[in-house]
Amino acid sequence: MSATALPDAFHRLAAESQWAVETHGLTKRFGDNVAVDGVELLVPRGCAFGYLGPNGAGKTTLIRVLLGLTQADAGTTSLLGYPVPKHRDVALARVGAIVDEPRFHGHLTGRQNLQMLAAVREREARDRIGPSLERVGLAGRADDKVSKYSMGMRQRLGVAACLIGDPQLLILDEPMNGLDPAGMAEIRDMILALVAEGRTVVLSSHLLDEVERTCDAVAIVDRGKIIRQGPISELLAGAAVVLQVECSEPDRARALIGGSSIAARIEVGTLGLGITLAGGTPRDVVAEINRILVTGGISVYRLQEVQASLEAWFLQVTSRLGAS
Amino acid sequence: MVTVTAQISPVPAAPQSGMSRDHRGSPIPTGAMIATRFMELRKRRGLMIALILVNIGIPTVFLTVRLLAHAFDPKSYGPAGGYSIYTGLVAGVMYVFGFIVAATLGCTAGSVDLSEGMFRHLVVSGRSRLALYLARIPAGLAIVVPLVAVGFTIVCAVCVFAAPTRLNYDGVNVPVGLSRAGFENWAANHSDLVMCDFGYNGPGLPNVPCGPNGQIIKVKPGSQGPAAQPTPAQLKAAAIAVARQNYSSYASDFLYPSDSLMIKSGLWLELEALIGLLVGLGLASLLGQRTVAVILMIVLEVVLTPIFSRARIAHLLNLQRAVVGVATAHLAPGGLPVLGGGGGGPGGGNGNPLLVPESTTVAVCVIIAWLVVWTALGAWRMMTRDA
Repeated sequence: MSATALPDAFHRLAAESQWAVETHGLTKRFGDNVAVDGVELLVPRGCAFGYLGPNGAGKTTLIRVLLGLTQADAGTTSLLGYPVPKHRDVALARVGAIVDEPRFHGHLTGRQNLQMLAAVREREARDRIGPSLERVGLAGRADDKVSKYSMGMRQRLGVAACLIGDPQLLILDEPMNGLDPAGMAEIRDMILALVAEGRTVVLSSHLLDEVERTCDAVAIVDRGKIIRQGPISELLAGAAVVLQVECSEPDRARALIGGSSIAARIEVGTLGLGITLAGGTPRDVVAEINRILVTGGISVYRLQEVQASLEAWFLQVTSRLGAS
Repeated sequence: MVTVTAQISPVPAAPQSGMSRDHRGSPIPTGAMIATRFMELRKRRGLMIALILVNIGIPTVFLTVRLLAHAFDPKSYGPAGGYSIYTGLVAGVMYVFGFIVAATLGCTAGSVDLSEGMFRHLVVSGRSRLALYLARIPAGLAIVVPLVAVGFTIVCAVCVFAAPTRLNYDGVNVPVGLSRAGFENWAANHSDLVMCDFGYNGPGLPNVPCGPNGQIIKVKPGSQGPAAQPTPAQLKAAAIAVARQNYSSYASDFLYPSDSLMIKSGLWLELEALIGLLVGLGLASLLGQRTVAVILMIVLEVVLTPIFSRARIAHLLNLQRAVVGVATAHLAPGGLPVLGGGGGGPGGGNGNPLLVPESTTVAVCVIIAWLVVWTALGAWRMMTRDA
């Protein structure tokens, strides 16, 4: 059913949906391998959403299922409030996506490739080719053949291909691949600008630092399942607290803390003690550690709480899963 | 396992400016889709050079060489054009190679989006996959049809304007375009040539001695030699009988192809190109790659079709009739030699006893079935393929 065949009430209902992406029990199998395993994903509208996972976790497969590039075996999906695949054409009309490495017809220029892609979209898409090329910084090379483009330029062209559809939802699979630091910064700024315009950006990446600097919320996928999702600040609030303590007699200090009632993992390193406390531990415990050391005659030169990073948290979560 | 389900506060949906009113789910491709697909194919320089070389280059070079040879040494080299050159080029070169290059174009159109990674971008747009497939057909035809037409026009022009000025029938120069009565009248006036040079299969002719130049050797009465010399009246009557038997064969010989034959041949070549394009497109879309599809199409045209059109295998006769090349050979216009050589009769492919017998209706059905089935298979694969 095309967009025109749907009543306006249906469009209004879809627009009222608070989720840009919503999946329930989404499953995709390749033989015995379950690449996407009952995924429950909720991506709010108007945010940058990171989709993280180790290699082979099923990130790209989930994106392909969402976009209808491959069929799901079970579950339901909706994009921008429209159920997919039933109203796939209407939903994808306002979705732009890069999946895997962006590839184009090498014998055509960047502009001609975009003309091909604009031809399958609405008429207005043709007018957006120039501005999209400008926005990704390719206007000067738009009339060169794509076969002469670098990997980074193809990434930019992929983003431009997304933008010609004036998307409300962008799904970008590793958009930083092949970009130099300046290019990564430009893409990051562009993503933030797109979000500021009210669009939703789903970013799949293994560059955790980039995700942390760009995204408001993340989901972590492992072996086809989403194991965590939510705002980054809330997720990190549950992460383990690491204290770096520079002091005299580190071995005796370790014994003192170990002999107390404080539950902690303590390691002696070149910089002193590394104390790992469970997520959500009250700040009073930090003061208690300091008191035990001072009372025990240990000179404390420095006591610092190490800021939990998404990378540390990600490794913590995924390694725990790997161990189990 | 713990799942944090807290969400950030979603913002209201942005107004969807210019919301799709483009019938994106419709299977009918838009003009812009066809135009850009045409551009994509036309920009393939190697493919276009091959198409132009085969459809236009080969006949042009061949005819140019003949024109030059005839211009410099007309006694050794005959005229560049004419009926026989026309039939040889159309049925021998343009028919086979036209099919192959059209198939190559079809195979390219059917596979490159997938192999070059563009298919995914197109599918993500939400556009009907069937429309994406169907857009390739008019785009491919917009390339193949004019190319075949240009090459064919060159052949027609040379064959008509550089045709021989006299018709040579069984080694005898005969006026062109005579009616049956006119032909018999001409034979009566040239009884020597007719009796000595024309073929005849039947009884009742006087036995006359012929000289080296196609003239009857006169025998003096009373001298030794063949029996009684026929009278001039008897010779005229015999020549008319020979002419009557030869008329149908004479009538199918022309200095240059008729307008009717050229029109029919042109349409026949375009049909062959259409078949090559659509079958190649469907096959490549089904296989997902170009090279194997092109090889299979060449094998079909160059190996299987000649074999199946000539060999009469009793248990496989219906299978042979189902080969598209056999069916198109049956639709060849009258006057063209049929596939694989052997010369054509007035009835075209259907008139040639060397071909596996097949009615025109069956041939048309076979062709339609090939076009429909391969298009359906290609479209089905495109609609179900993982992108």
